[in-house]
Amino acid sequence: MLLFALGKVLQTLMVMMIVSVVSFTLLKLAPGDPIQIMLGEEYSPKAHESLVKELGLDRPLVEQYVHWIGNFATGNWGVSYVGKAPIFQYAFVEALPVTLTLAASALGLAILIGVPLGVLSATRKDTAWDAVSAVFTLTATAFPSFYLGLILIWVFGVKLGLFPTLGFVPPWKDLWGGLMHMTLPAVTLSTYFLAMIVRLTRANLIETLQQPYIAAARARGEPEWRVVWVHGLRNILMPLVTILGLQLGALLQGAVLTETVFSLPGVGQMITQAVLDREYAIVQAGVMLTACLFITTNLLVDLAYPYLDPRLRPR
Amino acid sequence: MVDHKSILEDHVLGTLNRRQLMRGLGAGGAILASGLGSRSAYANGGEIRLAWINHVDTLDPHFTGFLGAVKIHNNIYNGLLKVEYDGKRVSFVPDLAETWDIRDDKVHTFKLRPGVKFHDGTPCDAEAVKWSVERVWKGTPKSPHAWKYKELASVEVVDPLTVRLTFNKPYAFLPVALTGSTGRAGTIVSRAAVEKYGDKFGRNPVGTGPFKFVSWRENDSIVLEKNPDYFEKGLPKLNKATFLLMKEASSGVAAVLSGQVDGMSDSPVQFVKQLAAAPNLKVYGEIEGNYIFVGMNCMRPPFDDINLRRAVAFCLNREIIIKQAFFDQGIVAYTPISPPMTDFYDPNVAKSGRGQFLDLEKAKAFRAKAKNQGTVEVVFLASEQGTYGTRLAQTVLPMLEAINIKAKLEVVERAAWVSRRNARDFDMFDANWWADLDPDETVHPEFHSGAPWNYPGWSNKRFDELVDAAQVTLDVAKRKAYYMEACDILMDEAPIAIVSHMPVFKIFSKKVTGFKYIPVDSLNLHTVGIG
Repeated sequence: MLLFALGKVLQTLMVMMIVSVVSFTLLKLAPGDPIQIMLGEEYSPKAHESLVKELGLDRPLVEQYVHWIGNFATGNWGVSYVGKAPIFQYAFVEALPVTLTLAASALGLAILIGVPLGVLSATRKDTAWDAVSAVFTLTATAFPSFYLGLILIWVFGVKLGLFPTLGFVPPWKDLWGGLMHMTLPAVTLSTYFLAMIVRLTRANLIETLQQPYIAAARARGEPEWRVVWVHGLRNILMPLVTILGLQLGALLQGAVLTETVFSLPGVGQMITQAVLDREYAIVQAGVMLTACLFITTNLLVDLAYPYLDPRLRPR
Repeated sequence: MVDHKSILEDHVLGTLNRRQLMRGLGAGGAILASGLGSRSAYANGGEIRLAWINHVDTLDPHFTGFLGAVKIHNNIYNGLLKVEYDGKRVSFVPDLAETWDIRDDKVHTFKLRPGVKFHDGTPCDAEAVKWSVERVWKGTPKSPHAWKYKELASVEVVDPLTVRLTFNKPYAFLPVALTGSTGRAGTIVSRAAVEKYGDKFGRNPVGTGPFKFVSWRENDSIVLEKNPDYFEKGLPKLNKATFLLMKEASSGVAAVLSGQVDGMSDSPVQFVKQLAAAPNLKVYGEIEGNYIFVGMNCMRPPFDDINLRRAVAFCLNREIIIKQAFFDQGIVAYTPISPPMTDFYDPNVAKSGRGQFLDLEKAKAFRAKAKNQGTVEVVFLASEQGTYGTRLAQTVLPMLEAINIKAKLEVVERAAWVSRRNARDFDMFDANWWADLDPDETVHPEFHSGAPWNYPGWSNKRFDELVDAAQVTLDVAKRKAYYMEACDILMDEAPIAIVSHMPVFKIFSKKVTGFKYIPVDSLNLHTVGIG
């Protein structure tokens, strides 16, 4: 077990290394540099030159990378070039909780609505219910999330005035305000996953319900709700959790657009702004956070298997 | 002969001055009434929340490069001078100074207000002013605004409340350099705070202004609170001001329409009509000191050919561009000097035949003189511009076909655009230049040979002489004559094809009172109340 854990950690570190090298190089290869943006309308070649030196951007790429990773690993994440924002505070303390809240709300919403809807479709296969649900899921998958966000803002924010349309209120400080602020972004981000969960639940459940042990359960006279929700559903958790873990990337990708449309100060907005400003250190921090999140989630998924399926437990 | 130019100008000017814009709201009388009402009913206290769609780089005024940040600085800091506007013309009046005396054109003496303190309690006296001026003038790291003090010879403390600036030669641009929108080289900051926070002063600003800095959260908000010891008695009215930072202007539009915020720092042209039609909002916007243009690379073929550039200058239909690309916001420009520079703007420019304008015959005549008589293929470098996206480039391209120029549009993101523009890697590009209300910053650093922002790489000796002379001439009539001639040369040689002057917008909810519009893109909350 220890060896397994150690292997996992090493593997994780390797992946993080590769991610950091690739993102570092890609960004440096992109045209444009932070100083020209920093100087804005006050650009001059002279001012440019002195700032390049000051920020150490004239040194060789490898040296810059080694310098950065040394600092990063020891927790010295530095400050942004222009705004002098302390990056650790910005990325870890301010932006990450926003994105985690958004992702968790969206995922929670998708599961709470998606699973029952999938069960309904599966148990009422080939009825009008099923058809409506199919149309709904296909539309939701195909609908661009930023556009949905704008429509929600227009209808529920501007016309009906039901929900606030911008900004983040931490739900752990103000539960009601936090929920209200999170509703529209969570709905926007969740549609894609909602649709995916519905289809996944439906397909897997239909298959599961044809298994002999389901017939056995029915033969034992168990009530239908127990057959479906306990015996049936439990068996589709594995594929569901696996896919959700793998789709985390899509969730974070969607978060970028959602955060921009709803002006949420999360990791997505942080990375977009930093890429546009060529704030290399912030982009790196953001990429590392995201990679870390991705790896951790999939590690948790791996660890969850034995709990979801007793057959995988060590004997 | 029908004078199209003047008809056009009457038309666009007529639809765009501020009073007309308000009348467009169907509220001529209502505005008057609310104007009177607001004077008597300035509300005290309260918080204002504004959607901030402009980029904020730093709250250190000596190091900023963005107008969106300066709009906030003006609420935290004061300068030696400030800009005032009476609805017709701007003037430069003492701010931290009580009096401003000019002796022999080169020596400026400022007598300061007594008893003014920074937010950290340190006194704002002559020593503090001297230190702030020197920080911009020759501090390290070097301020990007240091050039504004290029001709400064000395800054001396005469007595605890008197400071004297001596220049090498007369400096006509000084009042603007001290107050000007980008940079405000005359903005006074707390020495104690700069020494305490070092390079993080821009995130911990300390000034003398009506509001104190509270917090700045990236992509979220900047919060200011009332400075109870502010030197203008009874100001500010508000207790708190929150600027909600956002990138997506449409999010701001939704928030202001639904009343979640009390205003917007700016608005892209496409939303203005919708905002003006909303019953709960008031739109402020007049033509400011700016110009939009299509630049041409004079350093390499094909636009090293003056006749080809002239052909471009006369082939653009500005009226259509304003309609299509700017949603009817803006007026036709003939030279870079814009109307609010009242001392230097030529009110007859539309009828005079000066400058550049649409004249296809002329364009074709110049085209016939160009070296390359075949189809000229060029690269048009474009990027999302905050106020109008890529629409200018898209509108200009088909117009160039009339003079047999085939432009390939290359749309790149902002950082790449900036670096290619700075490296002169383009044939044509479009840009909007937001200058201070003075011709010097409008044409000198942009078109003087070898000047830092001369991206077209144009050079003309006579032009250089004229704008250099204007810099050291304090006599307004003489200065105006210099700039008239300089602009005529500039427009004739056409390193740029000038397009338009633009209004700059501020949006407020009708419950916001006492906002004083000043056409240098400022958003001063000193007198603003909320009821």
